[in-house]
Amino acid sequence: MSMEFTGFPYLSAILLSCVVGLLVILFIPPERESLVKWVSLAFSGIALALSIYVFCAYDRAHGGLQFVEKLLWVEPLGINYFNGADGFNLPLILLTGIVHFTGVLTMWELRGRVKEFFAFAFVLVLGVFGFFMSMDLFFLFVWYDVSLFPMYPLIAIWGTTRKEYGALKLFLYLLAGSALVLPGIVYIAVASGLHTFDILALMQAGALTPGQQKFAFLLFYLGFGILAGVWPFHTWSPVGHVAAPTSVSMIHAGVLMKVGAFGILRVGIFLCPLGWEYWAPVMAILATIGIIYGVFVGLTQTDLKYVVAYSSVSHMGIVGLGLSTVTAEGLNGAVFQMFAHGIMTALLFSSLGYIYDKTHTKLIPDLGGMSKVMPVASGYFIVAALAGMGVPGFASFWAEVTVFISTLKVYPALGALAICALVLSALYMLRVVQKTFYGQRNERFAHLPDVSFGLGLPRMILVATMLLFGLFPRLMLDLVQTAVIPFMGGLPR
Amino acid sequence: MKWLIFGPEIYFLAVAVGFLILSMRRLNGRRDFSTALFLAGLGVAVTLATVQLEGSLLYGAYRVDLFSQVFKGLLSIGFFLVVCLCSNLNGIQEARHSEFYFLLTTCTLGMMLLVSSQELLTMYVALELTSYSLYALVPMRSGAGQQMEAGIKYFLIGIATSALMLFGMASLFAATQTTLISELSFKLPGLLNTPMAFIGLLLTLCGFFFKLALFPFHVWAPSVYQGAANQVTAFVATATKVIAMAMLARLVSTSDGNASLAHVLIALAIISMTYGNLVALVQKDFKRLLAYSAIAHAGYALIGILSMNPTGYAAAVFYAFAYLAMTFTCFLVVVKVASDGRDIAIIQLAGLHRRSPLLAMALLGAVFSLGGIPPTIGFTGKFLVFTAAMQRGYFLLVLIAMINVVVSLYYYIQVVKAAFLLEPGEALPAINLSPPARILTAMMIVVIVGGGIFPRYLFQLAGAAVQALP
Repeated sequence: MSMEFTGFPYLSAILLSCVVGLLVILFIPPERESLVKWVSLAFSGIALALSIYVFCAYDRAHGGLQFVEKLLWVEPLGINYFNGADGFNLPLILLTGIVHFTGVLTMWELRGRVKEFFAFAFVLVLGVFGFFMSMDLFFLFVWYDVSLFPMYPLIAIWGTTRKEYGALKLFLYLLAGSALVLPGIVYIAVASGLHTFDILALMQAGALTPGQQKFAFLLFYLGFGILAGVWPFHTWSPVGHVAAPTSVSMIHAGVLMKVGAFGILRVGIFLCPLGWEYWAPVMAILATIGIIYGVFVGLTQTDLKYVVAYSSVSHMGIVGLGLSTVTAEGLNGAVFQMFAHGIMTALLFSSLGYIYDKTHTKLIPDLGGMSKVMPVASGYFIVAALAGMGVPGFASFWAEVTVFISTLKVYPALGALAICALVLSALYMLRVVQKTFYGQRNERFAHLPDVSFGLGLPRMILVATMLLFGLFPRLMLDLVQTAVIPFMGGLPR
Repeated sequence: MKWLIFGPEIYFLAVAVGFLILSMRRLNGRRDFSTALFLAGLGVAVTLATVQLEGSLLYGAYRVDLFSQVFKGLLSIGFFLVVCLCSNLNGIQEARHSEFYFLLTTCTLGMMLLVSSQELLTMYVALELTSYSLYALVPMRSGAGQQMEAGIKYFLIGIATSALMLFGMASLFAATQTTLISELSFKLPGLLNTPMAFIGLLLTLCGFFFKLALFPFHVWAPSVYQGAANQVTAFVATATKVIAMAMLARLVSTSDGNASLAHVLIALAIISMTYGNLVALVQKDFKRLLAYSAIAHAGYALIGILSMNPTGYAAAVFYAFAYLAMTFTCFLVVVKVASDGRDIAIIQLAGLHRRSPLLAMALLGAVFSLGGIPPTIGFTGKFLVFTAAMQRGYFLLVLIAMINVVVSLYYYIQVVKAAFLLEPGEALPAINLSPPARILTAMMIVVIVGGGIFPRYLFQLAGAAVQALP
């Protein structure tokens, strides 16, 4: 059995912390709810600490794939257990760590079937972590599906509005995506003639003919695009977001949609660069439609969660637009936007979750004047909304600026349209903020307590992260750059 | 010592004779279970002890090789597992329990003979031994007539396909002047463009299509699954399917990658998958649902075989193992939930997560494995099958199969929903599993998940086994 490890396997340790957390939870009696929560917090904390460590310890001067762990898994088929970290996946590993940790904190007041909830949540996060760090197509797909199936019970059991419908729709849509991805993966492995699922080996120039690349890229783009919320395959996402319980919405919108976008990047763009260039204009058009569509549909929503959900569709469109430019800045911005949007949307759902838990409504007309009732909780939402508008000082500002600059160079018309749409998005976010948090106070909710320090902690972490990367964007941009530059340089032209 | 390689067959013959004698004495049936469990466990040991043996008997008509021994091992395990379910054999009158075990043993014996037979007539005789045991087992359930309908359906369709198969064998003999598989595999590839040889081979395969419940020989499956006693259904759904896959692989491999045969099989696979999955969508009874899912799975398994390359045959062997594990786990849940031996509707699984968390987890694993969601053994099986098909360039077939997988998830998720989400109308008591049943359930979860995460050794074994194919 051939093995290749460079030092302590930090990446596997992240996965292991999820597995061990899961196993420990399974052996706790279901009635000991607070113990389950503390165990979840501890193990998600370990995963977060490890992901922060990996993010910081990555040698930026050296670049390339680091923390490599390679283990031959099924020899006759060329399957390896192959993990690695580079500038593309490190931001997302960090994002997953942060969102899961804050998600556990957000669900601290959960009642009913607590053990199962946190167990399923660990399975979900395990899949997401594995997906981001895997460099083997087989494992990539396995992790992909591992991250999808817990969504069904998580939404259907603990969700709210039309939860069974939302859960089923989401589940079938996302697995329909995998129905395109799996044939694509097997096709690539077989068509290349290399009989391996190793992404690095398959990236060698000339492994696939241009025709094969165009075909396979389409499969990956559509398959992963469903998960990334690419218009017109996004319809599962608002329904699913709205139905899901708070922390699941956070993980879902914050991390899981990035799984889709990252899949397009890691599998589609890495393995089929010619297909990427060929289909880029289509991607750009769909992404622009997604941005505009998300903004306009978001304008008319009365349910707060729907507003946030459609803003996610719109913001994921920016990621798609960045990917479609086929430029280094575009890729860089897209990866940064994945991270920034993940944090921002997690904060939106998290702060909204608190308000919903207390008032039991998320309809904008029923609320109103919330900033007088719970000023701190409202503050978090307003901060997130500002970040969503792309106000300077937050991480998403830099991400969006980077994407739009590169888009204006490549697709001036589409870029201009998208920017106009985003100006409108500021309008609808402000409308929501004004109607929900200012204006006449609703006496029905006057007695409700404001968010406590403990429950505010996850929101503080998220705000701090946004500010950190907003004030020091180079922390992120430089890291992504270490991966983008060699990758773009190696493209066949 | 040449007869040592015949060990499992002799052992199961002895067990069958033992139960035959027991059945004549009409003693208290309660002791039968512990006897059967012990003998079945010993049978697994005996069979696994002979896995490495090789040899040929009866002038080449009977051959023992790794391929046959692996399947005999699977059969003995399947037999053991089904016997494990018989602690509450309430679907069958107590006085008939010895006969039940007798027939179950002869059926297993027949299948063991089948998988080693290298000659068409031996194959036919072994198949009939299997079938006649099942013809008697299916209507054995005590109840109000449903089992008779199932029994008659099974019998009539069974003998009809037997007739087709005999006709096919006759044509094969006419075309090639031999009944030995080893000679067939030399002569047949050149002759397959003649209608007689082609039709002959195809009709011979029909006998096993019937056992696999592949379209158009599937019509018995829903009635038999629902009508037979739960334990009998478990046996029909696991052991006979496994052996049908083995025999199809053996026979198809004699054609040496004939394209026309592949095209016919592709058509059957696509129709079977699509039909099974679409009809399963509207089922209310859990066993009936499993029957239609079995029809669909017959299609998936056939994809491995019709690829006609080493990966494909190995994938089919792997799939057979995976299918045994996941289907058995479903029936384990059926038997434990319906402890009085009745049929259960999907809706009656409601509240299972509260009544028995372990069974609910096992059901979740088994159903997701059937649906092909990683990291389960069912996913790995599908992945291998698809890889094999892709190596032959059947992209469209793989895509259709994947779309079918997504369709099937809709009804699998209904099962999960019932077990985890729905609450029963009246409060139902918790299901108390005995410690051995707990261990068995936990073992099945470990096999389903472990086989998905570490498929390496199993796949290597499957790969080694199919090297014995022509």
